[in-house]
Amino acid sequence: MKILILDGQPDANDVQYAGYLRQLVQRLRAGNHSVTHTIIREQSIKYCTGCWSCWWKTPGRCFVQDDSQQICADTIHADFLLFASPVIMGFPSALLKKTQDKLIPLLHPYIQIVHKECHHRKRYESYPKLGLLLQKSPDTDAEDIKIITDIYDRFSLNFRSTLDFTMTTEQPVEEVFHAINHL
Amino acid sequence: MPLIIFNGSPRGKNSNTTLLMDQFIAGYTHGNDNQAQVHYLIHTKDADKNMELFQDAENVILAFPLYTDAMPGIVKHFIEALQPLCGRSGNPRLGFVVQSGFPEPHHCRFVEAYLQKLAKRLGCEYLGTIVKGGVEGIQMMPPNMTRKLFKTFYDLGVFFAKYNAFSSELLRELTPRENMSWLRRTIFRILNLTGLTNFYWNMHLKKNNAWDKRFDRPFA
Ligand SMILES: Cc1cc2nc3c(=O)[nH]c(=O)nc-3n(C[C@H](O)[C@H](O)[C@H](O)COP(=O)(O)O)c2cc1C
Repeated sequence: MKILILDGQPDANDVQYAGYLRQLVQRLRAGNHSVTHTIIREQSIKYCTGCWSCWWKTPGRCFVQDDSQQICADTIHADFLLFASPVIMGFPSALLKKTQDKLIPLLHPYIQIVHKECHHRKRYESYPKLGLLLQKSPDTDAEDIKIITDIYDRFSLNFRSTLDFTMTTEQPVEEVFHAINHL
Repeated sequence: MPLIIFNGSPRGKNSNTTLLMDQFIAGYTHGNDNQAQVHYLIHTKDADKNMELFQDAENVILAFPLYTDAMPGIVKHFIEALQPLCGRSGNPRLGFVVQSGFPEPHHCRFVEAYLQKLAKRLGCEYLGTIVKGGVEGIQMMPPNMTRKLFKTFYDLGVFFAKYNAFSSELLRELTPRENMSWLRRTIFRILNLTGLTNFYWNMHLKKNNAWDKRFDRPFA
């Protein structure tokens, strides 16, 4: 499987988190998966400005030439996309969210009714399945995890995909590996 | 003390959020000496200054468009700057406005749950969340199409000036139904066949000479 990990950790000094991700990537590669691990803080990505160029000027592509273009390409070629981030103020990082906003060129502006709701038409045949890997903070509770999961579930609908799991870095790397490997 | 409004639209001043909040402010300041200050979160470098404005305020409203089913990246950036204020006593009362492109309020309810928890996390009294769907396109609508919407935001401001709360009656006016009825979905499907539902996008695609490229897949 082709796997893209979008890593929204803003803190380069969190060695525990970095170690966990490193092990996960190694384990996935050992399991014969091809893995791209994109550390967002090392990328140059501008915030979306809501200009809709990606839908009506340069369809399918952000008007701004930043690293989000490569991320869009990697995303659409992946079978599985893992969003990885610490939980900060009850939600994945601003780095990850800013990057997620820049995935919008992958969809089409036209609206369709899907599951009795408005959603966007697909631009591509298929989209990667999604997973969430969260590092809890001292103040993260079960309600936070549920709120985040619900929101990413909704995002998966709009992304014409499915959210297959939410896991945390409290769980052994092997469990996360299995969750992905069994997809 | 002025009401502090944080405008979280990535479009800044030129946004649907501004159009709605201008109405709210007009109602809030009508016939009294109330004041409201708007700060734009697109200036992400001002995060520390915005945090200070937040901690000194009595009442704060954070208003933003729904972006990929949650808050835009710039709004999350602002929320992260508030972290040092968590649980401190004397934090302001906090309300929210979330508006979206899709017409059904249902799309906004999940981030609403997050916002309610955010107020609790900060130790702020939660004033509620104003939710409104179907907002993309209001910039180009003729006045008769936005009159009712603007009037409701104006009235929400008037009510807020009086009671320091969002009127639940007016909130219901903005969101009469959580999802589309069978009838509306059917009408939508029929209009979709005629291409009428894509009018807004098609108009801009043509204006930008991008009509032929509308189904492009640059990363395929
Ligand atoms: C990157 C991006 C993501 C968006 N995601 C959603 C969404 O998930 N659901 C929705 O209903 N509208 C979505 N919208 C539409 C905006 O919420 C809508 O256009 C809003 O009215 C813009 O307000 P503003 O002018 O104040 O920024 C999105 C728009 C952009 C540019």
